[in-house]
Amino acid sequence: MRIPVYLAVAQWALLLALGVLVILMFRQLGRHLTVTRSPAELGPAVGSPAAGFEYVTLAGPGVPGGVPGGGRDGGPGGTAQSFQPGGGQASLVAFVDPTCPACEELVTALNAADTDGELTGTRPLLMVSEPPSYLQISEPFRATRLPLGQVQADATLEAYRVSATPLLVAIDGAGIVRAAGPATRRGDVRAFVTASLLPAPDGGGLPVVSGARDGHNPDMMTAIAGEERSLARKGEAAGG
Amino acid sequence: MNLVALAAKAGLAVMLLVAGSAKLADLASFAAAVRLLLTFRVPRGAVRAAALAVALTELVAGVASLVLPSAGWINPVVLALACGFVLVSGLGYLFHRGRSCRCFGALSNRRFDLAGIARSLAIAATAAVAMVRVPPAMTGVGPGSRTLLLASAAVVGLAAFSAARALGSARKLELETS
Repeated sequence: MRIPVYLAVAQWALLLALGVLVILMFRQLGRHLTVTRSPAELGPAVGSPAAGFEYVTLAGPGVPGGVPGGGRDGGPGGTAQSFQPGGGQASLVAFVDPTCPACEELVTALNAADTDGELTGTRPLLMVSEPPSYLQISEPFRATRLPLGQVQADATLEAYRVSATPLLVAIDGAGIVRAAGPATRRGDVRAFVTASLLPAPDGGGLPVVSGARDGHNPDMMTAIAGEERSLARKGEAAGG
Repeated sequence: MNLVALAAKAGLAVMLLVAGSAKLADLASFAAAVRLLLTFRVPRGAVRAAALAVALTELVAGVASLVLPSAGWINPVVLALACGFVLVSGLGYLFHRGRSCRCFGALSNRRFDLAGIARSLAIAATAAVAMVRVPPAMTGVGPGSRTLLLASAAVVGLAAFSAARALGSARKLELETS
């Protein structure tokens, strides 16, 4: 039986359109599932001490050669590093993967924040768990100038409860988690930076830094608000 | 050349089907885009009716062009629609540059800009290519094939509608939380 030419052409056109639409919906569904996950399922508990971990440095375009496995910041490639939270230095750890569209949005936002100097005062770190060669398929990951490392142990992902990516964790100078949750936008990044720079609970009040309420992620802002309320209660109790 | 003409015809038909379905999924936003091009006061209901008419015209033209390939009258209708797109793109560029045209509902963020005019011109050129006469043997589809095409068109239309709904809802949610 011979299929009419038009039928074959039309079916191919329909199949192509259907494929594009399915990809659109798949991306949207993936974004929805990762971004709307509740903080109870994702990220370390706010107020708990952040865990230290080991990672291997990865390359980016700013590094001569620009190949995965090489080092960043002019350093040697693939060197083992240790992340130790606290020590008077606030940190912003982003668990991201190059194949996750929402992660690309977060890395884009972090890159822009870094370019505009909004990450000043905090130590940013991008952690991936996928193979380094995957970095080449994602433009924001290729373009990033931020420190980039590969998680070495599942224990790290378990300690930080990385059940989905992206996950952004704000850690203050005392090594305490001040905010944790999904983030994709510039406003989210600003709010996390602000959270990481909040003074330690023993240091007294909680000054709200300008722009602290610019965040767009309601889950994360809830976490910050909860932390502030808890500290306020402690302050009231101490005061009498 | 015959194959190119058939591909142009099928491609345009699918594009109209997707665009019409996506507009129907978020008619309120498309009505807002239609209102942009009306310089005189029009009741809200009339604007919505006009938006519905445009979306249904695209949908019907797309399905008819896809399912009835040998009907000669459809090609000029599609060409006229494509010329209408060029006109709308031009007017939008002149008076509302940078505003969203909602050409594919929530499926895209296409705006009234030079690229939009270029796209409309490309669509009109494709519609002109689809006007080329092809041997009837190449477009001859029987009732069974027509039913298959109609069913496929329904699936694609439904997928476009669902995708536009999902993306539209997500954007509204983002606007509310920002």
